[in-house]
Amino acid sequence: MAKIESGMESMIDMYIFETNTLLEQLDEILLKTEEAQTFTDDDINEIFRIMHTVKGSSAMMGFDELQYLAHKGEELFFIIREKPGQLDDVSFIYDLVFRMSDLFKAEVELIQGEEEYEATDFSDVIKDLEKGASMLTDGAPAAGTEVGTYADVEKEKAGGCPGEGAVTVRIFFQDGCKMENLRSFMLLNKIREEADVRGFHPADLEGDPNASDVIIEEGFTVTFKSENDDNDSVLKLIENAINVESYEVISDGKPSETEAAESSSTAAAPVEAAAPAAENIPAPIVIPAPEPAFTAAPVPAASNANQAAALNTGKQSIISVNLAKLDQLHDIVGEIITTESMVISNPELEGLKLESFHKSARELKKLTDELQDTVMSIRMVPLAGPFQKMNRIVRDMKMKLGKDAELKIMGEDTEVDKTIVDSLNDPLMHLVRNCMDHGIETSAEDRVEKGKPAKATVTLNAVSSSGEVIITVSDDGKGIDCEKVLRKAEMNGLLMKPASDYTEREIQQMILMAGFSTNDVVTEFSGRGVGMDVVRDNIEKCGGTLTVESKTGYGTTFIIKIPLTLAIIQGMEVKVDNTVFAIPISTIRQSFKVRNDEIIQDTQRGEMIMIRGECYPIIRLHEKFAIPSEITNFEDGILLQVETDGKNVCLFADRLIGEQQVVVKPFPAYLSRYNIKGAGLSGCTIMGDGSISLIIDVANLIEAY
Amino acid sequence: MANGSSLFAQNIKSSDKKSNRTEKEEEITKALTFAIGEQVYGIEIPYVKEILGVPKITRVPCAEVPYYIKGIINVRSKVVPVVNMRACFGKEEIEYNEKTCTIIVELKDITVGLIVDEVLEVLSVMQKNIAKTPDLNNVNENKFIEYILEMKDGIKLILDIKKIIFDHDLMLRLD
Repeated sequence: MAKIESGMESMIDMYIFETNTLLEQLDEILLKTEEAQTFTDDDINEIFRIMHTVKGSSAMMGFDELQYLAHKGEELFFIIREKPGQLDDVSFIYDLVFRMSDLFKAEVELIQGEEEYEATDFSDVIKDLEKGASMLTDGAPAAGTEVGTYADVEKEKAGGCPGEGAVTVRIFFQDGCKMENLRSFMLLNKIREEADVRGFHPADLEGDPNASDVIIEEGFTVTFKSENDDNDSVLKLIENAINVESYEVISDGKPSETEAAESSSTAAAPVEAAAPAAENIPAPIVIPAPEPAFTAAPVPAASNANQAAALNTGKQSIISVNLAKLDQLHDIVGEIITTESMVISNPELEGLKLESFHKSARELKKLTDELQDTVMSIRMVPLAGPFQKMNRIVRDMKMKLGKDAELKIMGEDTEVDKTIVDSLNDPLMHLVRNCMDHGIETSAEDRVEKGKPAKATVTLNAVSSSGEVIITVSDDGKGIDCEKVLRKAEMNGLLMKPASDYTEREIQQMILMAGFSTNDVVTEFSGRGVGMDVVRDNIEKCGGTLTVESKTGYGTTFIIKIPLTLAIIQGMEVKVDNTVFAIPISTIRQSFKVRNDEIIQDTQRGEMIMIRGECYPIIRLHEKFAIPSEITNFEDGILLQVETDGKNVCLFADRLIGEQQVVVKPFPAYLSRYNIKGAGLSGCTIMGDGSISLIIDVANLIEAY
Repeated sequence: MANGSSLFAQNIKSSDKKSNRTEKEEEITKALTFAIGEQVYGIEIPYVKEILGVPKITRVPCAEVPYYIKGIINVRSKVVPVVNMRACFGKEEIEYNEKTCTIIVELKDITVGLIVDEVLEVLSVMQKNIAKTPDLNNVNENKFIEYILEMKDGIKLILDIKKIIFDHDLMLRLD
């Protein structure tokens, strides 16, 4: 049972973020190497580094099980690293490591969850990891894996002669920063990236329970030699490391002091060893480490993951920010803009001649607009994250289904609002799975027969166009079998009109309906028939639409259209009596005046209008929302033709106010128990003058009609 | 208001004089009092965020929203629903005038504006002034009452904000 220590809460977020990032990196490397069927040295080192960092940070957070799991993975790659010649058959490693990475992700999700975290038992996979390790060490017993552990080799290295140019440094951590041994360990890893570590004391940082006390008492002594004789950069690294209170250079690598360095570094645990070494230098240089700039987030793990960047630039160029803070910033900016227009168009200024005031006001407006754009852009993240994850899905499905396919990714640098990216993960996964499972032909022969390459292609593409991002997931498989779909729909009672009346396009859209699955056999990946409508719902929830296009024999394309951002929409503001409604511009087809004789009355007193040979029902907004408007004659007001999901209606309003970017706000939580959405309103927005307008949800409005 | 603040000062003075003599004399909390018709009600200060006049209210045109929820207002870029306390207590609604106020209350991230006839004063709540709420099943209105204060200048009913914000069924039963 892993318990989160108090004071660690602030680190948990960081830990989760870092670990997830690392695990994704791991997946990426594994996929790449699997493709190439070989591990390069760099890959092995990188995987090793990832495992190591995960292990370190897990231990730091007190997640012992995770630490152990990572440790076993690290061990496996340690063996691979030490014996690169023996990698004849590495295929089992992929499955093993993928399994491990999955377990890790699941566990991290658990930690992230609301409920109290309880460590999962990983003994199965750990056993397999041990087995894998022993297989690599030439059938030695499982215990044999211990022979070549990391620490042992380090000890060996520590035993070696430090040689010329090696620097010995004693580091003291801040009082009460806790877990000095792990901090030392992590610092050591950082130093390792820059320099060749010749030895350190205490030698057993992980196993020895007294290591922390020793470090508190005597400091952490490390001897290293920089690869390119740039010892200063390593010292700088130590100086900037988190929680380092001070450090002193015991020996700066000059020949005369080699001995001292050696004595301090080779000793297994000599308490006195460091002391004489210190005496060798008349005046030890004690440089108080400056307070780290980011003390607010005392997260060693953070610096670890970004260490590559940090080491290159000296400072991180990317920081991670809590989304809630961004939302807050966004709100404040909205407030500033509202207040600004209250000031500038204040009624008390009317009639005054204020030339310089208006000039300044324009300047201010320009700046606030820029501010708003910047804040919006902060929330934008590229789609690369969710796209890259699909590699893994395709790989797994390929193995399980025995289909040969490759994933092509295009436009992954398209940026979308963070909340949308998060909600796209599941839909994309379902769609890619669907393409793999249903889209692509079961046998490669079928494909070759049809003149297609044996290897199928699944394509992910993203392009942005005028406030919308269009993501397509397509395969070059067999396409949708319309007859089969129709039969199935009939069987499931989904048909609303005679089967012969359906167009090809309508039939294709049926696969997105609830409770539909054409696959005869339920597979592990898909076929439960819940997939596609859940996908559609998820996408619609974030304001997007899902359609499908297919050509029998040539493949299927799913098209997701989502707004660039949830927070701002382009809206047309219309007035009904004193109430202002905003209608999303994307749904409006046209607005026009009518003469009364163009209106068609149907038998139920419903009103319709004929536009270019098509009849559209009219919804009077004042009637629909029970607003006592004086304008009830069509000739006095205006009609707006709106369309969504291929359905068209005309809305009748008093007059148009104009087009405006509106910041969408949900209705307050207090009102959430009333079905306001069902009434055709999706939210509200605060207008320039501080009053509130209501945003019309065209889809629901039509449905309710 | 002037009357109220002097009373408030008096309370402070009296509690100073007999400080710590008995626990009953001590101030438990402060309450903001307001009037609906003749009756004086109160809300404990910690729940009160601010007091506004009656801003422009945007009605939420949805048949399900009950009549006493008058709509939504903009409180510094935050959209806040407003409840007319008169209507909520089943009293006849009156036109808003210059005394009408909106008290913004907040509890657990939920913010609601309460429209009242008039805001009166802030008073100290002493243990000795608290009378237990009588028969809870008697009058519907009592269900919103957390406790009753018996002050020299009359009875003040301190409202239970939790019930106003979370107990929707109670509100609906009043319809």
